[in-house]
Amino acid sequence: MDKICILGRDALPGSLALRGGESLRLTLVALPGVSCEGVLTLDLNGPGCQVDLAGLYLCRGDENVRLQIRVLHHAGLCHSRQLFKGIVGGTARADFDGLIRVDPDAQKTEAYQEAHTILLSDQARISARPQLEIYADDVVCSHGATAGFLDPDEQFYMRSRGIPEAEARRLQMLSFLSPVLERLPEDLQKEITDAL
Amino acid sequence: MENLLEIHGLHAGIAEREILKGIDLAVRPGQVHAIMGPNGAGKSTLGAVLAGRPDYTVTAGSVRYRGKDLLAMAPEERSWEGLFLSFQYPIEIPGVSLTNFMKAALSARRKHAGLPELSPAEFLRLLREKMAFVQMKSDFASRSVNVGFSGGEKKRNEIFQMAMLDPTLSILDETDSGLDVDALRIVADGVNRLRRPDNAAIVITHYKRLLEYIVPDVVHILKDGRIVRTGGPELVDLIEEKGFSEIDG
Repeated sequence: MDKICILGRDALPGSLALRGGESLRLTLVALPGVSCEGVLTLDLNGPGCQVDLAGLYLCRGDENVRLQIRVLHHAGLCHSRQLFKGIVGGTARADFDGLIRVDPDAQKTEAYQEAHTILLSDQARISARPQLEIYADDVVCSHGATAGFLDPDEQFYMRSRGIPEAEARRLQMLSFLSPVLERLPEDLQKEITDAL
Repeated sequence: MENLLEIHGLHAGIAEREILKGIDLAVRPGQVHAIMGPNGAGKSTLGAVLAGRPDYTVTAGSVRYRGKDLLAMAPEERSWEGLFLSFQYPIEIPGVSLTNFMKAALSARRKHAGLPELSPAEFLRLLREKMAFVQMKSDFASRSVNVGFSGGEKKRNEIFQMAMLDPTLSILDETDSGLDVDALRIVADGVNRLRRPDNAAIVITHYKRLLEYIVPDVVHILKDGRIVRTGGPELVDLIEEKGFSEIDG
C-alpha cells in the first residue's frame, strides 16, 4: 500500500495492523497554516513486513503540529524506516513523539527513525521525543533527532554565486525537505514549495 | 591602468580573533596574483572576507573593487559585480540540481544587470557549453550540487560555475588541494582559458604545483596575517628552496 495522508484533510486511522509479508509506504503531510495532529500506531504482527514511513511539516505562522508515531514490532524479520522533516518558524510549535518498540520475539528486526527539524525563528518551538524500546537481542535499530537552523555555510555558498539571500533560504528549505518532498505528487509538491 | 582591486590596511578576524593584520594589495586587470603562505597565515580568510562571508568581521581598512566600496556589499552583490570565490571545500546541496542552482544564480545576476532572463533553450546551451569547457559529463547537470562528487569533480564544478558567471575577479582558494595531476590540468586549463586583459585572478595556494600551470604575474607571501614579501614568479622557486619559515619581509 502506498498512501499519502494530508493531516487535517484526509482521515488518518489511529492504528494500522500489518500481517506477515505486507508492506506499507505512507507519507504524512502537515501543510502550512494548518494546525493538526497525526497519531498513528503501526502493529507489525507477522514476519517480513516492510514499512517506509515519512512525514513533512511546514509551519511558519502560529500553527501547532503534533505527531505521535508508534511502530511496534511484534514479529521478527520486519523492516521499518521512518524519516520526518519539518520546518518551524514564526511562533509555531511542533511536537514529535516517536516510539519504536521491538518485542522479545521480534528477532532480526531492522528499525530506523530519523526526525529533523529546522527552526526559522527564536520563537519557534520543537519538542522531539524519539524513543527506542528493544526487548530482543538480534536486531538493528537506530534513531536520531536533530533541531537546528539553516546552515550558514550553505547559505554563503549560494549567495557567493549571486543567489539573493531570500532565494538562498528558499533553496535551503527545499533541499532540507527534498527527501520527503520527492515522495509526493507534483501538485502537492508545488503547493508546498510555493509556500516556502 | 586603474586598479581592479585595492586593499588598504585590512584587518579582519573571526569571533574576536584577529587573523588579517594589515593587508595591502592592488590587482590590475589582466593580472594573476598568487598568494602563498603556510597553514594558518590567513590565506583563506582573505578570500572569505573579499567574498563577504558573514562570520568574518572587518575591524579596519578598506577594499575598493572597480572603484566601489566592496565591504559595503552583500555577498550576492559582490557576485553581481563580477567577483567569484572558488571554495576550498565546495558545499553539498542535496535536492537542488546543479541546473536549478545555476539558473537561480544566473537569473538573479541578469536581473541585476537589467538583462532579460535567458530562455530555457539559451540557458541549456550555455550550461552545456560551459560543462564541456571543464570536461564535465552532462549528467552532472541534473545531479544535486556537489553531492557524491569526488574531490576533483567538486573543484571542476567550481571552475564550471566560474565559467558560467564569467567573473571579473576570481579568487581561487586552494583549488589545487585534493586534485590528481589530470584534474589539476583540467582546472588550470579552465582558469587559463578564462584569462582576459579585462579580468584578473587571485590564486591562493600552499604549493608550487598549481603555479606551474597557472603562471602568476605577482606572488605574495602571507605570514601571520601580513604580506611579508611581494615579487615575481621567481619567488615561487625561492619558497620551494627555502620554505616559508626562512622568508621574511
